Amino acid sequence: MSCEHADRPRLGSKAAFPGRLGFFGRMRVVLASMWRKASGRYSLIVLAVWILVSLVSRFWTPVPIWTTDGYRIWRAPSRDHLLGTDGTGADILSWLMAGSATNLAISFLAVILSGVLGLLLVMAMVSHRSGVSQTVVVLVDALISLPTVLLALILAVPLGPSIAVVVVACGFGYGLNLARIVRPQALLAAESDYVQSARHSGVGSFRIFCTHLVPNVIPVLCVQLSMSAGTSVLAEAGLTYLGVGVPAGLPSWGHSLTTSVKFINVFPLTVLWPGLVVTMVVVALNLFGDALRDAIDPVANPRLRAAVAAAGRSALRSEEYQEASAQLDDSDHHVDNAIHAGEGGNDVAEY
Amino acid sequence: MARFLMRRLVLFLLALMGISLLIFLALRILPGDVAAVMAGLDAPPERVDRLRRQMGLDRSYPRQYLDWISDFLKGDLGRSILTNRSIASQVGIRAQITFPLILLGLGVALLLGIPLGCAAALARSPRMQSFSHMAAIVGGSVPALWSGLLLIMLFAKGSGLIGLLPSQGFPALGWAQPGQALSSLTLPALSTGIIVGAGIMRYTRSLLTDMLSSGYVDMGMACGMTRTQAALRIGLRLASPQLVSVVGLTMAEMITGVMVSENLFALPGLGSMLITDVGNRDLPAVQSELLLLAAFFLFLGLLVDVTHRLIDPRFRGAARQEVAD
Repeated sequence: MSCEHADRPRLGSKAAFPGRLGFFGRMRVVLASMWRKASGRYSLIVLAVWILVSLVSRFWTPVPIWTTDGYRIWRAPSRDHLLGTDGTGADILSWLMAGSATNLAISFLAVILSGVLGLLLVMAMVSHRSGVSQTVVVLVDALISLPTVLLALILAVPLGPSIAVVVVACGFGYGLNLARIVRPQALLAAESDYVQSARHSGVGSFRIFCTHLVPNVIPVLCVQLSMSAGTSVLAEAGLTYLGVGVPAGLPSWGHSLTTSVKFINVFPLTVLWPGLVVTMVVVALNLFGDALRDAIDPVANPRLRAAVAAAGRSALRSEEYQEASAQLDDSDHHVDNAIHAGEGGNDVAEY
Repeated sequence: MARFLMRRLVLFLLALMGISLLIFLALRILPGDVAAVMAGLDAPPERVDRLRRQMGLDRSYPRQYLDWISDFLKGDLGRSILTNRSIASQVGIRAQITFPLILLGLGVALLLGIPLGCAAALARSPRMQSFSHMAAIVGGSVPALWSGLLLIMLFAKGSGLIGLLPSQGFPALGWAQPGQALSSLTLPALSTGIIVGAGIMRYTRSLLTDMLSSGYVDMGMACGMTRTQAALRIGLRLASPQLVSVVGLTMAEMITGVMVSENLFALPGLGSMLITDVGNRDLPAVQSELLLLAAFFLFLGLLVDVTHRLIDPRFRGAARQEVAD
C-alpha cells in the first residue's frame, strides 16, 4: 500500500489536498510554531510592538513632535520628557516613536524592491538561454561588490537626502545579494523531475518559475528578506547620519541617533536609548527570518504537515470519500514517521 | 582560468563604464547652473560664460564625458570648484587616513571573527552554542554610529569612563607621529571592526559547522586527528574560498561604517571629504571621487573572485574539463 504512494505529491502542496487549509489557517499554524521557540517569540513580540508603536505614533505621541520650547533645550530626562529634550526643545521619546513609522516604511519598501529585483534576476539566471543566464550571473558578481553607500551618494546628489535614496540603494544592493544566494536552490529545483515533466508537458517557463521554483526557495527567501529588512534599518541610520538619508525634519531612528551624538556631552545615558531600540529591532528581524524559515517549510515543520493533513482529512470525511480516506489513513502514518524523523533535523542549517 | 579571467575582466570594465555613465548622468540632471553659482549672485553674463568655457560646461554631454574619462585614466581627477585645489592630491593625502583605518578595522574583524567563529562551531554544549550564536547576531545588529558612541563613552580621553584613547581628530603631522596616529585610529577601527567581526564570526561558524558534518573531517579523524585538529586543518582550509568571498563582500559593506566613524571621530579621511563635497555640490570633485570609489570596489570584487578560484582546489580539476565556463 505504501509503496504505491511513495511518489505522490509532497504533503502540504496543493495537489495533495486542494484548498483544504487556506492561507490564514496555515499562517496560524506557522505563527504558533514560531511562538513555541524563545527566539521566535522574542522576534514576534518586538515586531508587533514596532508595528503598534508606528501606528499609534501617527495619532498620538507623549508630546506632539512639532512642539518646541526654546527655554527647555538639551534637558535631562524628567517626568514631562521621559528621555529629555533635544536642541530645539522637542521631546526625544516622541521623535523616537514617530521615527519607527518612517523606518517601518523604509524597511518594507526596501524588502519589496529587493525581493522583486532578486526574483527577476534569479529568473534570468535559471533561464535556459545560457547566454542570458551566464551574463547575469557574472554581472551580479561584478556589481555585488559596490557598497550601498556609494549608490546612495550617487542618487543623493541629484535627489538630495530623501527616503527614496535609502530605499533604492538598499533594495538594489540586497536584491543582487538575494539573487546570488537563492540561485543554487533555484537551480536545484529547476533540475528536479517535476520541473522537467512540467516543461515537457508544455508549461511556460514563467509559470514554472511561479508555481515550482518560488515555493522551493521560500525558506531561503524568508531568511534573506528579513535580514535585508534589518540591514536596511542599519543603513538608514548610517546614511541619515552622513546626511544623504532621511532629510532633516522627518523623524527616523537615524535622526534620533544623530541627535544623540550631540547629547553625549550633555546627558550621556540618553545616548543609550535610540541605539538600543535599533539594535533590538535588528536582532528581532534577524531571528524572525530564521524562525519563519523553520516554521513555514513543510519539510522542516512537522506541525504544519500535521495541520494540513488533519484539515484535509476532516474535509474529506465530511464528503465521505471512502477511497481517499483510506489513502489518507495511510498518509497519516507517513506524517508520524516524518515527525519523528524531523525532530533531529530541525536545527541543522543556519543559513 | 584564462577564459574566466578574460570574461571577468571584460565585465569589470563594462561595469565600470556603466557606473561612470550613471554617475555622469546623475550629476547632469541636477537642476541649476554650476557656473552661475560659482560666479556669484550679480556677476556679469560674460564672466559666467568665461567660467563655463573654462570648466568645459559649454561642450556637448558626450564630449564632456569623454574628456572626463580620458583625464581620469591619465590620473587627472580635475580641480575642486570651491577650493580650486587638485582633487588627486587631496585624495592622496586623505587616503593616508582612510586606508589604514580600513585595514585596521578589517584586522580587528578577522582577529575577532575567525577564532570566535571556530570556537562557536566547535563548542559542544548546546548552551554555549546558542550563546555564541546570539552574540554574533547581536554584535552584527549594532549601528556603527552607536558602537562608536559607546566606545567614546567608555574609553575616550577626558569624557570617557576609562580615559585611554583620543576620540577626536588626527595628529597634524600625520604618520610622522606613528604612535599618536595609531592611537587616534584605534577607537574608530574598533567601532567598525567589532560589528564586521560579528558578521564574519557568523559566517565562519556556519561554514565550519557544515564542514564538521562533511566526510572530510570524518576522514581526518579516522586518520588520527582530534576533532579540533581536523576541523581547523581540514575544515577551515576547505571553507577558506567562501570565507575569502565573504570577507571581500563585508569590506564593501564596511565602508558605510568607516565613513560614519570618520565623521564621528572627526578624522579628515576620504569618507568625510566625499560627504562634504556631496553637501557642497562640488560636481567635479564628487564625480571623480565616486568613480574612484566605484573602481576600487569593483576591482576588489574582481580580486576576490580570482582569489576564490585560485585557492579552491575544486576549480583546478574542473578547469581542464569545463568547456562552457
